[in-house]
Amino acid sequence: MSLTDILEQFAYIANNPNAILKKYIEEGKDVIGCFPIYTPKPIIDAAGAVPMGLWGGRITPTFAGKYSPVFTCSIMRSCLELGMTGRYDGLKAVIMPILCDTFRGMSSSWRAGVTDIPLIALVHPQNRTDLGAQDFLAQEYLSVKLRLEKILNREITDESLHESIKKYNYQNALVMKFSKLALNHLDVIKPLVRHYILKSAQFISVDEHIRLMENLIEELEKLPEHVWSGKRAYFIGITAEPDELLQLFDKYNIAIVGDNLAQESRQFRTDYEICETPFWSLSSQWMHIEGCSTVHDENADMLEKFIIKEAKECAADSVVDCLMRFCDVEEYDYPDIAKCCEEEGLYCLCLEIDQSSEDNGQTLTKIQSYSEL
Amino acid sequence: MTEQKAEKPKRELPLSRQLVNKQTEDVYASAWAAKEKGESIGWSTAIFPQELCETFDVPVLYPENNAASISARHFGNQFIEHTEGEMKYPINICSYARLNMGMADMMKNGKFEGVEPAMPLPTFLCLANNSCTQLMKWYENLSENLSIPIFFVDCLFNYNEEEPDAYKNKYVRSQIENNIAAMEKFFNKKFDWNRFLEVQRISQVNRKLFNEIVALNTRMPAPLDGFDLFNYMSCLVICRGKESTTEILKQLKKEVEEHIANGTSTFRGTEEYRVHWEGIACWPNLGFNLKTLRKYGVNAVMNGYVTAWDVAYEPGDLNGMAKAYQCSSTNSFSTPSIMDMRSKSMKKFACDGMLCHVNRSCKLMSFHIFTGRDIIEARNKIPIVNFDGDQSDTRVFSEAQFENRLQGLVEVMKENKGGK
Repeated sequence: MSLTDILEQFAYIANNPNAILKKYIEEGKDVIGCFPIYTPKPIIDAAGAVPMGLWGGRITPTFAGKYSPVFTCSIMRSCLELGMTGRYDGLKAVIMPILCDTFRGMSSSWRAGVTDIPLIALVHPQNRTDLGAQDFLAQEYLSVKLRLEKILNREITDESLHESIKKYNYQNALVMKFSKLALNHLDVIKPLVRHYILKSAQFISVDEHIRLMENLIEELEKLPEHVWSGKRAYFIGITAEPDELLQLFDKYNIAIVGDNLAQESRQFRTDYEICETPFWSLSSQWMHIEGCSTVHDENADMLEKFIIKEAKECAADSVVDCLMRFCDVEEYDYPDIAKCCEEEGLYCLCLEIDQSSEDNGQTLTKIQSYSEL
Repeated sequence: MTEQKAEKPKRELPLSRQLVNKQTEDVYASAWAAKEKGESIGWSTAIFPQELCETFDVPVLYPENNAASISARHFGNQFIEHTEGEMKYPINICSYARLNMGMADMMKNGKFEGVEPAMPLPTFLCLANNSCTQLMKWYENLSENLSIPIFFVDCLFNYNEEEPDAYKNKYVRSQIENNIAAMEKFFNKKFDWNRFLEVQRISQVNRKLFNEIVALNTRMPAPLDGFDLFNYMSCLVICRGKESTTEILKQLKKEVEEHIANGTSTFRGTEEYRVHWEGIACWPNLGFNLKTLRKYGVNAVMNGYVTAWDVAYEPGDLNGMAKAYQCSSTNSFSTPSIMDMRSKSMKKFACDGMLCHVNRSCKLMSFHIFTGRDIIEARNKIPIVNFDGDQSDTRVFSEAQFENRLQGLVEVMKENKGGK
């Protein structure tokens, strides 16, 4: 497969989750919807089902207003709308990690508005330094497994869980390897291309994504190194969408050299430890997550330090905060991140992200200003 | 300062209210005295296990309660403006947080102008996220700005309708125990388990007394203007484990029973309609809301918010206490569980309607209103109206919209009562 073919596949997957869902269902596969950000995907994979990310879409919700206030983040509102209007039909269940207040509310909204797709909710322990936290999470993941087994009417064995955990760790390694390799090929791995590669993992099985990533890395390694002379941005936030936003960065010769986006690298950065019991392995990942707005850290400045360290490691000259409108957890973090960037000599660009908004005039002005610096 | 201080009513307050005011003054005074002596002072979320600091005899103040007081006095805007302007926080986050983080930053930088009630800056923070997740982010930011530690009890959201599983309770209990150990080190004091038991006992006496008083408002007409409960609720927020609260609530109960015996009420007007108020008060607009409700003969006899401090357990039972803190705030439950409570309460209080505050600052309560409406309409068959507002941000509430929505509610309630 040529590099062009591989990249086209990533683009197709990232842009057509609904067609992929239908394909899986036609093939007789069970598909489980995964709300952002941290769902225990190995449990789904170990059940022989496909985990499919639910990240909303570029729509203007109308029905969702019945069960959600207008100041709900656009991802959750559009997810609810898509669920209520039948676009997610065929999912056997959805898994929702209650990571913020919107999720607390959404868990009831989903049950009221999307009555034919059962919800498996779970809570992550935020007081991670407490000795009881990991015990709790291991039990919570076990509870997810039991609820999923009931819905799928099949047993999920410890052996299959161990196997799936290894696969997800391998996928993490491939994505991290790609991220580093991409820095030598920023002429090919343009902002939108990079986005498609990472986002595509949300909509296909881990095995399929692994195969595509292996092919991609093999092809990239054949290419001569390219020395990038344009600007270098490190992206943070929940998602860097829509496509037009990333095309603007391309237009102004700005490369994405790394990210801490919830939809992208945050998904792949933390491995599952290999432990005796699968649930201890699964829960270990959460205990080690660094630099995420949805995860409490005893060190109050952990997030800013993490972002600065990462941005500097990939020689970024700016941090672009794709700030999801009405995403409280991210909004609370923005001022300290901006302050820290300023102190460290990194340009900080804040772009408001809203899936239901078409107007990107202000965004264009901000990107232009940055490109002219 | 951006606003003029609101005119205070000249009427003499009942003794119970005078005692509440005195108690609040004493709590703030003891915190300032601790500051003078260079001792520990805590800021705590409203439903943190107060039994811990009460046992250690360390003064604690409550930013949510403080933000409500400052907003009701119309002094909040300067702090909110500072947070959105100089500190660059987005407008969408909770207005209590914006008010408090702005105030803390201004105090830290010597820009604070002594608005009352003024809290001394804390030396530690107590955080329980049973009310919402934003509290965690708010306190993370305070901790970073003030370089002080957080004592954290992660209370877990109850996403199912069933009783929480035992393993959840085990984690919450583990945190309480570990916080006690960490506090012993931080305060350099031994934890007195006998005193702890006594504080637990007092806390239970107080919550039971408050419940009894609230239940008296089921009488028709109600002996209390429902908005009075917002004022007395503060005793449970800031002094749930103190004997002074017992005295206040006994006095209040006596006054309410006198009203019942005399056929009088603190509701000024004729109680034509009884409604349930859903959500936090619009503190900056409390006076307008109260006047408008009275104008239409509407007594908001009950609201779900005031029962959030009903933290029920047996003294000496740490498992029970852990479970109670996990399940105390209505925000720690799913909508069907909460609406089940509301539905029963509205029947008990004979409510003719439900008035819902879509609070721009409280996403979760607003979600409950949207998703819970169908449940209440189906079970209670009473009219429900929403209005937009905020607990502290004065830019959201519209007097015209509030009155207009209330008029609509009254029309339907009137029709339901046969046009009378």
